[in-house]
Amino acid sequence: MLTAHPQDPAAPLKVALMSCAHTHAAAYAAQLRPRADVELVIADPDGFGDLQGEDVVGSYEEAWDAWPDGPDVIVVTSANAHHRDLVLEAARRGVHVLCEKPLATSVADAEKMVAACREAGVVLMTAFPVHFSPAVEALRSAIADGTLGEVIGLTGTNNGKLPAGRDWFTDVDLAGGGSLVDHTVHIAEILDSVFGAPTTVHAVANQILYADRAGEGAETGGLVTLTYDSGLVATIDCSWSQPADAPTWGGLRLQALGTGGQLQIDAFAQHVGGPGQWLPYGSDLDGLLLEAFLDAVRAGQAVDPTGEVGLRTVKIVAAAQESVRTGQPVALA
Amino acid sequence: MTSTSPPAALRVGIVGTGGISRAHLPGWVEVGAELHCFSLSGAEEFAAASGATVHGSLEELLAAVDVVDVCTPTPAHPEIVRAALEAGKDVVSEKPIALDPAVARELADLAENVGRRLFPAHVVRFFPQYEAAKQALDAGKIGTPAVLRFERTGSLPDRPWYADESLSGGIVMDQMIHDIDQALWMAGPVEKVFAQQSIATSDTAVRTAHVVLTHTAGALSHCRGFWGPAGTAFRYTFDLAGDGGRLQYDSAGDPGIMFDTVASARQASGDGFLPDVTTLRDPYAAELVEFAATREAGTTPRVTAADGVRAVEVAAAALESLRTGRSIAC
Repeated sequence: MLTAHPQDPAAPLKVALMSCAHTHAAAYAAQLRPRADVELVIADPDGFGDLQGEDVVGSYEEAWDAWPDGPDVIVVTSANAHHRDLVLEAARRGVHVLCEKPLATSVADAEKMVAACREAGVVLMTAFPVHFSPAVEALRSAIADGTLGEVIGLTGTNNGKLPAGRDWFTDVDLAGGGSLVDHTVHIAEILDSVFGAPTTVHAVANQILYADRAGEGAETGGLVTLTYDSGLVATIDCSWSQPADAPTWGGLRLQALGTGGQLQIDAFAQHVGGPGQWLPYGSDLDGLLLEAFLDAVRAGQAVDPTGEVGLRTVKIVAAAQESVRTGQPVALA
Repeated sequence: MTSTSPPAALRVGIVGTGGISRAHLPGWVEVGAELHCFSLSGAEEFAAASGATVHGSLEELLAAVDVVDVCTPTPAHPEIVRAALEAGKDVVSEKPIALDPAVARELADLAENVGRRLFPAHVVRFFPQYEAAKQALDAGKIGTPAVLRFERTGSLPDRPWYADESLSGGIVMDQMIHDIDQALWMAGPVEKVFAQQSIATSDTAVRTAHVVLTHTAGALSHCRGFWGPAGTAFRYTFDLAGDGGRLQYDSAGDPGIMFDTVASARQASGDGFLPDVTTLRDPYAAELVEFAATREAGTTPRVTAADGVRAVEVAAAALESLRTGRSIAC
């Protein structure tokens, strides 16, 4: 069994950002490049080209070979279907991983990735930046400290524009599906961190929004309803329903209903606005995620959001897809 | 030379003089109706407030009016609607017209057969926010509707029959039927319904329901109802996304008038059972004015008996989904 590279706490971490396919790659690069405690190499094997510089290489091989002992850490921002091979290769090499969500496009792949990283003793975390939102923390606290009383219902909306310039988001082979895959998991992770796993999943989906740009078979609208042993019911609207001309990409809102009252959070509400203007000033969630991940790597111990929660949210997506196929709710194993 | 006498006032008989009858009163006053009432309780108080003539029996009321306005608790709707139609009266009925879709259909058929109107009081169609959205949808302002969300929040009404699901149909049939009707109005017929409900174990007055509708034309709707804890303010929202745009409304974000916390603490607040409509064209009045005007003109109002039947059918499918845990075709 391989073990993770031993860390010299004073040495910079060698980080390879694997692929520029996901729009978050640029955001992570902007965070990592200025850090004195990180040496960064960026692989852009598909030639997306929106990241330029001496630290950009044209293949995964060059990124793996950028240091004599290879990287300490990879950040996986490839198309969803390629997460598995990159993460399994990292585990084989004893390299820690931060993997973009969804962790994988199938439950079997996600299970393999979690098991491989566990056996290799490397940190595997899933990139759910909204986990670090102060608004989400306020929701977790209000439920944990009893402010909301007995919580019986939740509605979560994670609506966005269809990502531009990245056709793979609606290529079922590369993305694993459409908006059910892309936008269910953020809220599913938040719910998981408060309530654990649901017992049943029901979903409906359609392809009316952005129909001209969506790939065959990729849903662009969807409603996912989860039930829990406690009786709690939660629905996630995962639709790409933000119009293309809106001043911001979309947002994430959650409303919790309890015997102690209601709480509504909007993780991306903080902004200065004006006609056609949206100037966000909220917490830098990508920065908080990377900080937590790099700390976890140095400590040798994953923290939330882990690979395991990534796997649990993939199970919810798979059940939602099965429900869309069968037209009936699906019990989670 | 002949003189024309002023048209005779519309004679309206209100049956059941509880909470909702008071909301109907301004509309009938606006219409200039001559009011009559019959109720198992509270008729004298209602008469004192409205000037209505109190009748000692339904038969006596039916003999004295042109139109019957059914404001009783839900379980009594069918027998009163039936009696009024059989007596040849036009009928306004609070929603739902019946809990059982077969009974609702039978009442709509009866109205058709006797040539009388049955107008289900789906008042939300007369709220100006929903009216504006419906007009925009019909004008293609959001393109093809894709994903629609409707929320309604209030308190469990304080009459005991509301909490008994066998009498009121519960939160889905009593409260959410408004949003089910909106979904049908805006996105057309529904082919599939899935529902979940959660009732707090620590306070059974607190309950929520989620209903997911799949429309025949392809749109998806999510209706979310909530009867909150004591003190919960009435609130209603919608979010309508189509391939050509999006419309959103939240009654909590409608700050034409804003008191600060000091002033609002001194301000009487609503009861949580019905929305505060003091800043709007009163939708309860608007629906009755439209009923009276379309009745007079012989035209079709924006809500018909068939609409009332469809709302009950979809709500009943949601209740079946709650019972079985399955998605229900309808």
